[in-house]
Amino acid sequence: MNHSALLHTPAEAGTDSGTGVAARSSAPPSLRAAASGASGPTGASDTTGASDVPGALAPRPGNGTPRPRNGARAVALALTVPGQVVSLLVLVLPLLVALYMSFTDWSPTRGSLFDAEFVGFENYGELLIYDTRFTYAVLRTLCISVVCLSLEFTFGLGLAVLFMREFRGKSLLFSAFLTPMMILPVVVGYIFWMLFQSNGPVNQVLELAFGAGAGVEWFRSASFAVLAVIITEVWHWTPLFFLILLSGLNSVPENPVRAAVILGASPRQVFWRVVMPMLKPVIIVAFVIRSMEIIKLFDEVFMLTRGGPGSSTETISLYIYKLAFNDFQLAYGAAAAFIVLIGSLVLVHLLLAPVRDQLLEGGRK
Amino acid sequence: MMPRKLTPLQALVMGLALIVVLFPVFWIVMTAIKPPTDWNASPAIWVPSKPTLINFQTLFNPDAIREYGVGGVSQAATDSVIGSLLASVSATAISVVIGLFSAIGISRYGNGGKSTPLVILSGRMFPPAAIAVPFVIMFSTIGLIDSYPGLIAIYAAVTLPFSTWMLKSFVEDLPREIEEAAMIDGRSRMMAHLTVTIPLIKGGLFATTMFVFILNWSEFMFALVLSYSNVSTIPVQLAKYVTATAGTLYGVQAALAVLAMVPLVIVGYRIQSHLARGMTFGAIKQ
Repeated sequence: MNHSALLHTPAEAGTDSGTGVAARSSAPPSLRAAASGASGPTGASDTTGASDVPGALAPRPGNGTPRPRNGARAVALALTVPGQVVSLLVLVLPLLVALYMSFTDWSPTRGSLFDAEFVGFENYGELLIYDTRFTYAVLRTLCISVVCLSLEFTFGLGLAVLFMREFRGKSLLFSAFLTPMMILPVVVGYIFWMLFQSNGPVNQVLELAFGAGAGVEWFRSASFAVLAVIITEVWHWTPLFFLILLSGLNSVPENPVRAAVILGASPRQVFWRVVMPMLKPVIIVAFVIRSMEIIKLFDEVFMLTRGGPGSSTETISLYIYKLAFNDFQLAYGAAAAFIVLIGSLVLVHLLLAPVRDQLLEGGRK
Repeated sequence: MMPRKLTPLQALVMGLALIVVLFPVFWIVMTAIKPPTDWNASPAIWVPSKPTLINFQTLFNPDAIREYGVGGVSQAATDSVIGSLLASVSATAISVVIGLFSAIGISRYGNGGKSTPLVILSGRMFPPAAIAVPFVIMFSTIGLIDSYPGLIAIYAAVTLPFSTWMLKSFVEDLPREIEEAAMIDGRSRMMAHLTVTIPLIKGGLFATTMFVFILNWSEFMFALVLSYSNVSTIPVQLAKYVTATAGTLYGVQAALAVLAMVPLVIVGYRIQSHLARGMTFGAIKQ
């Protein structure tokens, strides 16, 4: 329902696209500056791609006899250009539009984006200095992330270690333990929303264990609502840690372990001093992948609490969503997104540094 | 480490963990087969005494539930099921085909440069809510909003990094010499890739296709933001049921949730040995 206003306004703005284009050509200094500023890496690969074209297209790839150099280039381009075009059109272009937008005061009720007033860093300043709701959303998301990832890691590692032992029905149990991560986030959110109802099974079990009155109104209290989000998220994604860590444990070479045992190390020492250091790259990959996803936490929270009660479970993504699609403050929301992007880029690249090659060059295991 | 047996304590821990992992799944399936009287009973009913498929029927025929004296569901879920299938299948096909070409290009010719992976990874970090905003603007201008082509384009693009990187890891497992032999035999480069490389990574191609399908089928936010009346997917429909009726139609909602999750769980088990590779962009192989 609340999309309708939004859907119509830009469409109307689109009908006078003539003026839109005119405005575009009169507005470009800022737009172009913004564009070239953001497209650093992509822009660079783009120009090298362009300089390859003439040389590659001149001699057509030979029919039958491969002409090593030029044929290879043409084929390479033919193979990779579609992907690059799609990424540029559908990922980079919107990013640039969002970046431009974040420097304006545009909102859909005010006509074309290109008529919007340029306000410089006003949105950014407002967000960083005055917007406590944003600050809290960021801190909340970080706290939830730290707690969730620690728990997921601990449970996942524990389970993976148990799976290094022998027991019957192992492959069946392995599948069973992976189940949660195969379920779509929206459904996970919905399931736990039902489980945490005041007359739901979670409260039933609590009352059974701790007596009547031990049940909790999960979605009425801020701290219990956050706890519900954490439990849901941990249930959903512990299997990923389990899966990654188990594959890491399975590929630990036997010789160093044997040597340590022969030298008299206790099982505990073997695990912490020999096995864990060898697991480090795998652990980092798991953390990086999960941090990238949990920073964007949205679906489950949307289904569980919609950010409530009040704004006590509002994550960054949920706040941006509400800004853009409930309050129509699109420019402001875009600025918030860029702050988050820069923050998470820094964070993930710091984390990533030790395993960058493994992750980007496609694994050397 | 010598494989040792589980101690009784460890077996107990594992049993408890198994209950915690499976209980939510058990609960949603049970709720989906509860008749309306059991939906919101207090205390909650764990296993319905009279299991029924009425909730599933109601999804496709909103009036079916009336025989239980419950007002009909406002909207059938048929459109959203078809919409989900249409959007995820087409987007998966596009994403995997383009991803396959890119994967061969990047791993065999090193095309794409050093910076492309970082750009792609950075793209994954950007809050989707914010990418959605420019999409809404751009799509309204060119008439793609609330349309399947628009949704499919986004789905395909968003999953492209996954299909490219997962397939790249499979292509790299294959020795170059096989393709080179085919080229010496007189096949052109492109033909060598099409007729030699692709058949040899069939298994990987299948796993990637299924993995990307899981991602597309699960997608929620873009569908939520870009759909209005023409377009619907199961996740959006599920969210609508929850808001519209605030907990009065538990059983029907649960039926839709089960319907959404069954294909994924089947597909997921089928490719479970490749899940780690998919989730980590091919960094971890099994």
